[in-house]
Amino acid sequence: MVQKHFTVKNAQGFHMRPATNFATAMAAHPCSVIIRFNGKEVNAKSPMLIMAACIKVGSEIDVVCDGEGENEALAAASAMIESGFGE
Amino acid sequence: MIKGTAASDGIGIGRILLLEEATLEYTPHTAEDPKAEVERFRRAVDQLIEETKRDAAALRSTAGEKEALIMEGHISLINDPALKGETENLILSGQCAEAAYETMCDMFIGIFSSMEDEMMRQRAADVRDIKAGLLRILLGVKVVKVSDAPKGTVLLTRELTPSVTAGIKKGNIVGIITETGGKTSHSAILARALEIPAVLSVPDATSILKNGQPVIVDGTKGAVIPDPSFDVLNEYAEKRDKFLRERAELEKFRGLKTLGADGAEYELVCNIGKADDAAKVMEFDGEGVGLFRTEFLFMDRSAVPTEEEQFTAYQKAALVLKGKPLIIRTLDIGGDKEIPYMGLEKEENPFMGFRAIRYCLKNRELFRTQLRAILRASAYGDIKIMFPLITCIEELREGKAMVEEIKRELALLGIPFNKNIEVGIMVETAAAAVLADVLAKEAAFFSIGTNDLTGYTMSCDRGNSNVAYLYSALQPAVLRMIERTIKCGREAGIPVGMCGEAAANKKLIPLLISFGLTEFSVSAPSVLRVRKCISKWTKAEADRVAAKAMSLATEKEVSDYLESVC
Repeated sequence: MVQKHFTVKNAQGFHMRPATNFATAMAAHPCSVIIRFNGKEVNAKSPMLIMAACIKVGSEIDVVCDGEGENEALAAASAMIESGFGE
Repeated sequence: MIKGTAASDGIGIGRILLLEEATLEYTPHTAEDPKAEVERFRRAVDQLIEETKRDAAALRSTAGEKEALIMEGHISLINDPALKGETENLILSGQCAEAAYETMCDMFIGIFSSMEDEMMRQRAADVRDIKAGLLRILLGVKVVKVSDAPKGTVLLTRELTPSVTAGIKKGNIVGIITETGGKTSHSAILARALEIPAVLSVPDATSILKNGQPVIVDGTKGAVIPDPSFDVLNEYAEKRDKFLRERAELEKFRGLKTLGADGAEYELVCNIGKADDAAKVMEFDGEGVGLFRTEFLFMDRSAVPTEEEQFTAYQKAALVLKGKPLIIRTLDIGGDKEIPYMGLEKEENPFMGFRAIRYCLKNRELFRTQLRAILRASAYGDIKIMFPLITCIEELREGKAMVEEIKRELALLGIPFNKNIEVGIMVETAAAAVLADVLAKEAAFFSIGTNDLTGYTMSCDRGNSNVAYLYSALQPAVLRMIERTIKCGREAGIPVGMCGEAAANKKLIPLLISFGLTEFSVSAPSVLRVRKCISKWTKAEADRVAAKAMSLATEKEVSDYLESVC
């Protein structure tokens, strides 16, 4: 299991497009991907659950990947979140 | 006449097509073969995805790329592993596909509708849309096709969903009326992208108005006129043609720089009151923000907003503007703007009293919090600080000293901020205009606030009908204040902007160009109109008009003269 802490930087937070792009990218990895936020665990392969978590700019989150390809998944997640989803 | 929310400008005249929602009723039952039921559900999902792809392609050619992407976003929602997976679990536990899907969708609709953020609340509409789509397929219900609507159709529906919008042929649909949705709702955004006049939030519209009824949709005023008389019809047809001519004329200025007829370049920015309005600046082609009023952050609540809350709002606006300038005005409270928790005493004469910078310099903790939040946000865009209601140089110096102190503190803590952040002032009091030569030496920029400057210079309250006739930015006394302020700024080499209503006044624009104004800050919807207005003037012509206008003795003479040349 690997995990990393992030502060969400993009203005819109995990809105429709970032959430959808993020979930689609994560779904391509065989391992499980979870976002820990506000004491909750969210399946990061589901855009609906990500949006429902209401993650905004400035939110503190942890991304946890577990299973086959976990390092690749975490690297992909890092790149997306740290680039602010290209906003 | 029926009133609603004006959501997309223009006038549409036509006959109503009522889009009744198909009745998607079913009797929940237990699936005899749960595995086969899951298969039936999966086939319906596949079909819905196919249809949605087709709708997205149709939207791409009518409403544009952005709207098509939203429709394509639906595909991700339909494909959502949580939504699909949990639906299948419910089916396997014995529910029919319809009931299982409805249960899961309603759960998400509930979550999204209760969110604070309006953008997220819109997601509830997306889920409602896909739920209706899937139930329609499962139940085999046929729907009225919007794409078959004849020319001159006014669409009437409870809510304008993306899938309805996908069927709209721009030449055929001349107006839209809905029962739900505000100015920022998806229905409104889609209507504006399609340039179709729309009136939203018309209560009970689908029961008051009838299929086939003749109707006028005034999307500028937010009015619906059923069964118009011949005279009214003619009046609105004329209004519609005038609107369309003007719009075509203005659209030519979208995406262009703001240039005078001689090629001189000006900055054309916007006034905003909320962080969310920054998106509007981009939509209406503004070049940045010349005035971000921060009062809203402090109003309608019971305590001062925290540094974090303020930081988030300022940062959000800065990020949305993508590096375009953002001038944040520090708290301008008092006068007519009362905030109960601030403990402001009732004053005999609030406009001359304890307000704005005067209040902030005496309530240093509150002011420090705001300045710190602004400085922290300055790491994320081109932010500048502006103090309101300056009357003497000490106020500017004291404010700047606080900014410097907070900068040192942030630097020590290693918190990022813009070390070269500019600190400028509003020139909105007679004292500041008269003292402009002195203030220009220590302020990084001026922004003339014409509303207050007019009131203070003329010593008149525009809310008092007995003296309101004196209130005009075209009063020779006010024009001299403006001229002096710009001249002093120019001589000191600092930029001078204007953020009052006067900056968008076509009669004043040649004078401002002649005096040497460099930045016009107007409401977002005025951007293209003002850009067009500025494009008509060379500096030489503006100088000639200004010389004549400044030689006139009364407001009426000035106004009549400018009317004749603008």
